[in-house]
Amino acid sequence: MTKPTPPRRVQIATATCLALLPCAAQAAESLNALVWCDHTDPALIEPFETANDVKVNRREYEGTATALALLEQSRPGDWDVLVIDSIDVPRVIDAGLMAELPRDQLPLDDFFGTVEMKDSTSRDGKIYAVTDKFGYNTISFNSDKVDPADMQDMATAWSDKYKDRIAIYDYYIPVMGLVAIADGFKTAELTADDLPALKKTLFTMKENARSVGEVVASQTALATGEVDIVVGGGEWLTAVLAEENPNLTWTIPDQGAVRWSEAIGVLAASEKKDLAAKFVEYIVSPEGQARLATSSCYWGMPANRKAGEHLTDAQKSVLRWDEQDNYLKRAQLYPAPDADLDQKMQDVWLEMLQH
Amino acid sequence: MMRAFGWVYMALAYAFIFLPVVTLVLFSFQDGRLPVPPFDGPTLKWYADVLGDSRLTSALVNSLVVGVGSAALSCVLGFLAAYGLARHVLPGSVFMRGVLIAPLTVSYLIIGLGLLIVFNRVGPGPSLWAAGAGHVVINLPLAFAIIYASMGAQQENAERAARDLGASDVKVLALVTVPMLAPAILAAFFLSFTFSWDEFIIAFLLTRFEVTLPVEIWSLLRSGLSPRTNAIGSVVFLVSVVLVVGLELFLFGRKRH
Amino acid sequence: MAGARDTVRGWGFVAPALLWTLAFFVVPFVVMAAMSLATLEGRELIWGVSLENYRRLFGQAYLFRAILVSVEITLTVTVVSVVLAYPLAWIIAFRVPERWQRLALLLAILPFWTSYVVRSYAWLLVLAREGIINKALIGLGLISEPLTLASTRFATVTGFVHFFVMLLTLTIYANLVQLSPNYRRAAIDLGANGWQAFRHVILPLTLPGIVTGAFLTFVLCIGDYITPQILGGNNELTGPQIIMVQLGRGANFPLAAAMSIVLMALVTLAYLAAARWLRLDRI
Repeated sequence: MTKPTPPRRVQIATATCLALLPCAAQAAESLNALVWCDHTDPALIEPFETANDVKVNRREYEGTATALALLEQSRPGDWDVLVIDSIDVPRVIDAGLMAELPRDQLPLDDFFGTVEMKDSTSRDGKIYAVTDKFGYNTISFNSDKVDPADMQDMATAWSDKYKDRIAIYDYYIPVMGLVAIADGFKTAELTADDLPALKKTLFTMKENARSVGEVVASQTALATGEVDIVVGGGEWLTAVLAEENPNLTWTIPDQGAVRWSEAIGVLAASEKKDLAAKFVEYIVSPEGQARLATSSCYWGMPANRKAGEHLTDAQKSVLRWDEQDNYLKRAQLYPAPDADLDQKMQDVWLEMLQH
Repeated sequence: MMRAFGWVYMALAYAFIFLPVVTLVLFSFQDGRLPVPPFDGPTLKWYADVLGDSRLTSALVNSLVVGVGSAALSCVLGFLAAYGLARHVLPGSVFMRGVLIAPLTVSYLIIGLGLLIVFNRVGPGPSLWAAGAGHVVINLPLAFAIIYASMGAQQENAERAARDLGASDVKVLALVTVPMLAPAILAAFFLSFTFSWDEFIIAFLLTRFEVTLPVEIWSLLRSGLSPRTNAIGSVVFLVSVVLVVGLELFLFGRKRH
Repeated sequence: MAGARDTVRGWGFVAPALLWTLAFFVVPFVVMAAMSLATLEGRELIWGVSLENYRRLFGQAYLFRAILVSVEITLTVTVVSVVLAYPLAWIIAFRVPERWQRLALLLAILPFWTSYVVRSYAWLLVLAREGIINKALIGLGLISEPLTLASTRFATVTGFVHFFVMLLTLTIYANLVQLSPNYRRAAIDLGANGWQAFRHVILPLTLPGIVTGAFLTFVLCIGDYITPQILGGNNELTGPQIIMVQLGRGANFPLAAAMSIVLMALVTLAYLAAARWLRLDRI
């Protein structure tokens, strides 16, 4: 047996690679955005990047508390743009993290009725964030496999009639909001005292559920027939599936549903506030709104009505464009817990998962 | 009888090992939005889609760079430490071996969490460099252990012989020790590269905008069900196959002459 | 040979690796251990010496269950992987002609090179209700209704075993071919009554390799987040999933750190068990 020669080629390759490491391609300027996944779609971001010769770096996050921790540990200039739950905007305003937005540049008059959420997004007449997208956490289902009439009542939808045919969307705030609505509570008035009642319903739901999953897991489950109902689903879950299987649909039950809403704003610690504001203006412009509404991550209703001019009829019908006035009336907003209630809700959710 | 059973077992084992990969690749050609049976197709549109996605391609490059860089550094540090401990009598050598091996006994998630807590307060903050540093932490013990374990009496005798014949220490190291240990060093390098290439959680916690491929795939996966995920998975697989087969022919094929 | 000069030079060789490990492993670990004794009030981090996080982990049923789930899954995976990988490594080492062994091994670990994240996702597609396994079983007439395979502990274990069979085949094979040619020849010659030779000669000789691989399996498995997250359907949570939820939703670093310390303690127990009986500390 001959001895192998030293791996000199490997060494050379290594040296070459290391030399390449620092020179990542750089546009003239860059914006750092802390966002939800729908704001990372290149189809949405690239037109802005090209028009302004800027690179928009985007990082996803999951919970508001995590975003807050990240922002508070960051250095000035680390972050320029934030996308956050509309109902959590007061928390970031309180923490002094948001910069004022130029009111006259925002097409707020074109927005759907109540979605602007002025009470949350502005304070003392100053606007700190603007709602850019909304939708519903409700019941998604396969109309071929379940009785659509049953889906009008949440208690039936997750009853043992559909045992092992249910998936639960794994995010505690909207699903606990939905459960609260089913139990007759108002999401806006939820307190720690209501949690035992919610826990009971959640446990029932879990006993009948096959799985608890994030977006893709829930979609997979529904699309493959693993389950026929997704609690917490909505247009954002079934929109991309509808083309393939029109039986995959969603409804707002008689009790109502949860409305989710996300807002975008500029951070006070940003060193490029003008550019960041320009990005926000792009996102709420009709073109930006249409792209955001049909973002690859998940679909949702644009806040700006004028986005309709840039959407096809098929896209509008998947979004249920014409039914929004009715839906908005029937849906309640995400619960907006303070830090303490938030922690308690998370604990209940984990308990449900381990039940 | 036993012999036949062995071959059947081997066939079943390979079927098990390849089942998810075959499924993955097959449904990357799915002509439809859902990568589940029944199979329609084939189409190459998802490949066009994936290869045109600059985020995925730059993540792929990032992964290669972090993988090669961290594996190389792990091997260099690991080799030096192994040599130092195997050939020198050092006080506290058992303790030092323990410290060097220790990261092997700690989950990646925990190493990542510790580094995240520290990097949040000092240092460069989350970046590819941070992820690379983390990958060296997980691969150094591996490289050290593999190389140290193969440093036996055989090499020591050869080294002593070379020294007796008048070779300098550097020459002994470069012409005797490293070549004799080349299989172990190579194995350590490729194993390290594999672990880095595939590593998700440390890269997920420690990167910010520039991410490695597993992190990019994770966000792709979280963003919805699509044969795109199958396509990028298949591309990674194809690149790996080419790389592995190429190395096999290139590095190991040559020496047979 | 053991002069003072020699010692200094020895230190010089070891120092870079040691310093790296200190800076990027020991220091972060100490900080994390300190973090596990801190508490979170609202969103404010209070450093101190509090056992509150540990009290919660062991006191609150749903957190403690995560620890149990992790241990159960990890032990199952380790045992099943070793049992499945050993025969495969054996066949490759002793049955496959030597010139084909490298190819056989290469094939056996090829899927190892696909992305880990994607592999778990692929298992999801394989095990789905409409997936290949169910389709095949129904097609063969073995079952009439699809089996529930995905989103279960079975799915998590399958995903793990797939990965670790490849890893262990590699380590056990390496161990088998390192046996002296005499043992190998004996092994190849093993007939139908070769069990005892295997039991008393080969197995003890390959035990270090098995234990090293099994221990590596234990470490990688107990700390893994992806596989249970994708395949387990969140029907039960493991320790790492609890950690990631704490980080991702609540930014509760202290509780996450405490869970990490508990998982580490479990690994330490496994290490002590392995080292005591099998002298793993030789490496």
